[in-house]
Amino acid sequence: MSESSRLDAAAASVTLAEGVGIPMVDVRALHVRFGTVDAVLGVDLQAHAGQATALLGRNGAGKSTTMRVLAGVIPPTGGVVRVAGHDVRTDLMAAKRSLGYCPDVGGLVPRATPWEHLQLSARLRRMAPGWETRGRDLLERFELGDVAHRITAGFSHGMGRRMSVVLAAFHEPEVLLLDEPFDGVDPLGVEATQEVIADARARGACVLVSTHLRDLAVEACTTAMVLRGGAQLAVLSAQELVGEDGARAYRHLLD
Amino acid sequence: MPTVTSWTDPLADTRSLVRFRTSTVRNPRRLRVFALVLGSITLAAMVVPAFLPGAAEYQSGYAFQFFIALPAIYTGFLLLAAMSSIASGGGRELVPHDEAVAWPVSPVVDHLGALLMAPLNIAWLLQAWTLLGATAYVVGPGPLFFAECLAVLWLLVATAVAQVLSWAMEAVRRGPHGVWVARGLGAVLAVAGAALVATGHVSAVLDRLPTVKLISVQAGLTQGLSWAWPIAVVVLLGALAAAVLLGIPPARLALSRPSHDQARLETGAYQARRNPGSDLVAMMRIDRSSVWRAVSLRRGVLFLALAPGLIALSGDLEWRMLTILPGLVASGAALLFGVNAWCLDGRGALWRDSLPADPSTTFAARTLVLLELLLVSSAITLLLAALRAGRPEPAELAALLCTWVVVSLQVVSLSMRWSVRKPFAVDLRSPRATPAPPLSMVGYSARLAVSTTFTGLLFSGLAQVGEWRASVLLAIPLAIFAVVRLLRVRHVWLEPVERSRVIATVAA
Repeated sequence: MSESSRLDAAAASVTLAEGVGIPMVDVRALHVRFGTVDAVLGVDLQAHAGQATALLGRNGAGKSTTMRVLAGVIPPTGGVVRVAGHDVRTDLMAAKRSLGYCPDVGGLVPRATPWEHLQLSARLRRMAPGWETRGRDLLERFELGDVAHRITAGFSHGMGRRMSVVLAAFHEPEVLLLDEPFDGVDPLGVEATQEVIADARARGACVLVSTHLRDLAVEACTTAMVLRGGAQLAVLSAQELVGEDGARAYRHLLD
Repeated sequence: MPTVTSWTDPLADTRSLVRFRTSTVRNPRRLRVFALVLGSITLAAMVVPAFLPGAAEYQSGYAFQFFIALPAIYTGFLLLAAMSSIASGGGRELVPHDEAVAWPVSPVVDHLGALLMAPLNIAWLLQAWTLLGATAYVVGPGPLFFAECLAVLWLLVATAVAQVLSWAMEAVRRGPHGVWVARGLGAVLAVAGAALVATGHVSAVLDRLPTVKLISVQAGLTQGLSWAWPIAVVVLLGALAAAVLLGIPPARLALSRPSHDQARLETGAYQARRNPGSDLVAMMRIDRSSVWRAVSLRRGVLFLALAPGLIALSGDLEWRMLTILPGLVASGAALLFGVNAWCLDGRGALWRDSLPADPSTTFAARTLVLLELLLVSSAITLLLAALRAGRPEPAELAALLCTWVVVSLQVVSLSMRWSVRKPFAVDLRSPRATPAPPLSMVGYSARLAVSTTFTGLLFSGLAQVGEWRASVLLAIPLAIFAVVRLLRVRHVWLEPVERSRVIATVAA
């Protein structure tokens, strides 16, 4: 499938999903507190199937914490969080089965090989026999086929990021969470990641992308949510952030 | 910005790094408590044995046996310090490598830091306390101060010499064909040791050890102070200064070369294995790989499994004395990663926790991998030590087996508790990495030493009772107690808030 047809299909899915109106990611009044620090203060977020949403904001805005809550790694202090219809408080395992997560830091077990990561994921996600073909294909697409049996401790930062995206997308999850997937990644890796996002949208998955790179976010996503100080500041369409005007508008929101 | 350099810079830099390290201690009050506890134990080891019945009667009885053994104990300390330092690739780092890259830490500072870090090691502490206690028992209360001065100086000299040897070995290991040269040297030394034991020349070698002279000076103090003492002090101080300075060139050479072992592990290809048949197997497989593919852990485990066993083998230890070994080995192995067991996942912890896996299976996998490591490494030690110990009485064998199991369970229970309660973000990539900051390692070492030594001595006493059931009867409640404490830790781990705290910390 070509890039344009994929995006067309994705756009069709967006329309369809928005018509159905059941969000794949449903966050209401999310509150996360670490000791005396409020990391997230009342975020609301609804993202639908076939839609890609960018989480934007400065360092410490609460983007990664929100992603970690969605991934089931951090329990919410307050609010309601549903992933693919599963409440992360009461049905965490079902929520985890439905999502793929690329964390903001590392995301790889240092002394395991990419193939061993895939084996663990396939086992725990109860993937059907034949997953190996999909795994190999993804590794090749991200130019990691040659290092599939080397431990990840020797990987460069960009290779690690690419591998994290592979792991997140490997099982074709209903909800794809990518936290800083473009950080330190070369242009070919960025392209491969954009393709993964487009593919996910095309098959009706809901994608959330947290990034500092506005241009790439605009390219990959349909909607953008800007966070500041742990709270939701604005929800915009990606078109509103395009070009110089978009850059000015974004900067204005951050200041 | 202009900078100046002088020959005292390394000392100032080392002081700054020590201050930085101590300033990052989470609970400074605990630091003072630890220092007090360690100081008290050391002082007790230096003084109390001198006032025990039979002390200073080194013409007969136990004091005589210790007097005969002292040269070997002193030399054994040097050997163990050297082997420990060599196993950790040049000694422990004052500041972890990944944190130190931000500052211009010179090899000299690294060398001085490694010297300061050497005592923060359970093997070093136990050996030092044994050496100080044995010296006190042999000389008695009269010349105690003067004899212990020499003993302390020897500890410092031996530590500095061990550091020179370890830097030299690391420089060789990182040189051309270094891994094979290092292995060849290790094999030659092992064969030489085995030949000495096989040909019955161990006693002859022990009688000719250079430490015999030092012991004779200490023993002579019971007759009164003579010129021999100040001469010994000057010689030891000179040796200390020389050893500290001699360590600098090999440290520079070693640190200027990349680590072959690390490069080999990180760039080598690992054959893909069959897909795992269960979640537990899948997780244990990854956890085992994380242990055996880390240079520091691999070297540390091999060292701990072989060194005490070989020393016990050459020392011809009796069965009832072997009960001290499982605790030593298990504690040492736990200090390689077990006390911060979740750090094995490093930054992959976030991804692993996002997988749909039962947290109790994750806990079981990590616990079992740690337990099997402790059991296997201490089993190798015991097998080596048992080779020359003769045929055991049933009570002795039961005591040893019970110690092996109980101590391993105790260490696992303690380690998992610390791992959940106080996790650290640690990169175990470097051969010199430790799973926790130095001061925490001291605390862990001391707690493990007290707990496992006490258990070992308890079973050693039961080995002499002559009834094997006695050991089993004691082992059952001790094992149950350790398992119950482990289950409590598991309960904490299953709490999502607690688990997320651990995961977020180790992945930071």
